[in-house]
Amino acid sequence: MELSKADELSILTEILDIKKDILKMIYEAQSGHPGGSLSCANIIYLLYNKIMRINPNDPSWKERDIFILSKGHAAPALYVVLSRLGFIKREDLFTLRQYGSKLQGHPVKNSKLGIEISTGSLGMGLSIGVGCALAAKLDNTEKSIFVLLGDGELNEGAIWEAAMSANHYKLDNLIAIVDRNGIQIDGSTEEVMALEPLAEKWKAFGWEVIELDGSNLTEILRGFERSKTIIGRPKVIISYLIKGSDISFMQHTKEFHGRAPNETEYNAALRELEDIKTILIRGDK
Amino acid sequence: MSEPPLRDTFGDYLVEIGKKNNEIVVLDADLSSSTRTFKFAKAYPNRFFNMGIAEQNMLGTALGFAISGKIPVVSGFSIFTIGRAWEFIRFAAHDNLNFKIITTHGGLVGEDGSTHNSLEDLSLMAALPNLNILMPSDNIELTEILNYTFNTEGPFYIRLPRGSFPKIHKAKYKFCLGKPDIIKDGKDICLIGTGYGSILALKSANLIEEQLKTSIKVINFPTIKPINEKALLEEVKSVKGIVIIEEHNIYCGFGSIIARIISENNPKTMKFVGINDSFGESGKREILLKSYGLSVEAIIKQIKKII
Repeated sequence: MELSKADELSILTEILDIKKDILKMIYEAQSGHPGGSLSCANIIYLLYNKIMRINPNDPSWKERDIFILSKGHAAPALYVVLSRLGFIKREDLFTLRQYGSKLQGHPVKNSKLGIEISTGSLGMGLSIGVGCALAAKLDNTEKSIFVLLGDGELNEGAIWEAAMSANHYKLDNLIAIVDRNGIQIDGSTEEVMALEPLAEKWKAFGWEVIELDGSNLTEILRGFERSKTIIGRPKVIISYLIKGSDISFMQHTKEFHGRAPNETEYNAALRELEDIKTILIRGDK
Repeated sequence: MSEPPLRDTFGDYLVEIGKKNNEIVVLDADLSSSTRTFKFAKAYPNRFFNMGIAEQNMLGTALGFAISGKIPVVSGFSIFTIGRAWEFIRFAAHDNLNFKIITTHGGLVGEDGSTHNSLEDLSLMAALPNLNILMPSDNIELTEILNYTFNTEGPFYIRLPRGSFPKIHKAKYKFCLGKPDIIKDGKDICLIGTGYGSILALKSANLIEEQLKTSIKVINFPTIKPINEKALLEEVKSVKGIVIIEEHNIYCGFGSIIARIISENNPKTMKFVGINDSFGESGKREILLKSYGLSVEAIIKQIKKII
């Protein structure tokens, strides 16, 4: 899939708007995970808008592709994307994490809102994806199953149990995406529990590995295109992303993994997103 | 003729229900020959999934099946399935999925020893909202429980033993979720058992009733959760005391659940017969049951304390 200049601009500006909403939700809740929500917002947006087969009028459409947010702490990013598709009311976004809200701190299964299953306890999503992929094969459907994994959660042994079984059952309808931003709660992934050589690990488990620059829309879309052509084994897209991406003081740091911005930080962050947008639009002209 | 092991009844039942319902899929963790799910595997190879020795992924995969409209039946040994994969089961309960966990080797397993005993599973499961927890006391009750389980949406945990239990029910027995099953009437003292505990309870009552000149009621309670509290309280309202019998740790087990209901509503003397905070050891099951306190003698001792 090739994007025209105009398409690319409109997607980039929409992702910036999504990031603004993510920050507003977390700021108003004064609680949440900005770093890992900002890092993968573009991936979730592209999945729902350019890659997955879904029906915006019917979140429970039987033939839909399935998305599992294994890194459930990125819930704000998922909620905003779902609200832009009409599955979640926009005003509900800003009830995030509040008592009585359907939008808990981590996703809770809700078919009407398009949330397939509860997640947030790390390391569970890939196994769930294996089950969905096996069921899709059993039903002879064309469904694809997408599982977004954090890199930190690859510490969990269950991920590798799932990786082993996905290859055993030749689940070529299962596509895992690793948000390889390199930072987990206590610090760099390599300091906390070294993951590298990560691509080799997945390869050794029998997966097709696609590595790409997760900040580059065309590269992401090409990666997913390529994944479709591979038959007979599961695929993982290791997407190099930036924790807290686009906000200078949230980028590449563990500080905003699980902390909400204060008022000054929030306003500064919004200004930065606005500035990027202005430059983008000006550059285009 | 001796009764077949309950896991045989379970294995045969799966083949039958698998014929009627195409949505049923069965998962096992390299124990299908022990759990008897191999029979289903043989009959419907495309709907059987051996997940290897990896209980977490087995339960996680079952979550995926459940949200895809399948009815996953997950089997394995009780302690590994429940213990290793507890949090995945928590999510099945959390999302109230149509999900059936049916394990074998619950309780004291015998020669394999303390590492393989499952004497903590009811505690782990009973703390999960939405989950139905059932334990049969013979093959007739097991078939009834399985009928109920596969006719009802929602998450279930059924705990089976490794071996066989003698028959205590008549063929016409009907299982009612949460309700007491009166297997012997009486008015002075009530014995409440679940699983093998019910068999021992009945044996004890029949053996000692005349000698003690006490009328003993015996209730089999196949439902650990959800318990119909009203029905339970009605059955025990006029007895002097209650003895609970279970093949589980008496800490946070079936007895603790019943004691909470009784003490809140109609406090009376209660005694508990089960495994007293131990992991057990290797040996013949019959010897282990006796030495770890699950015996007719232990029950009679508690009955005498109430009198």
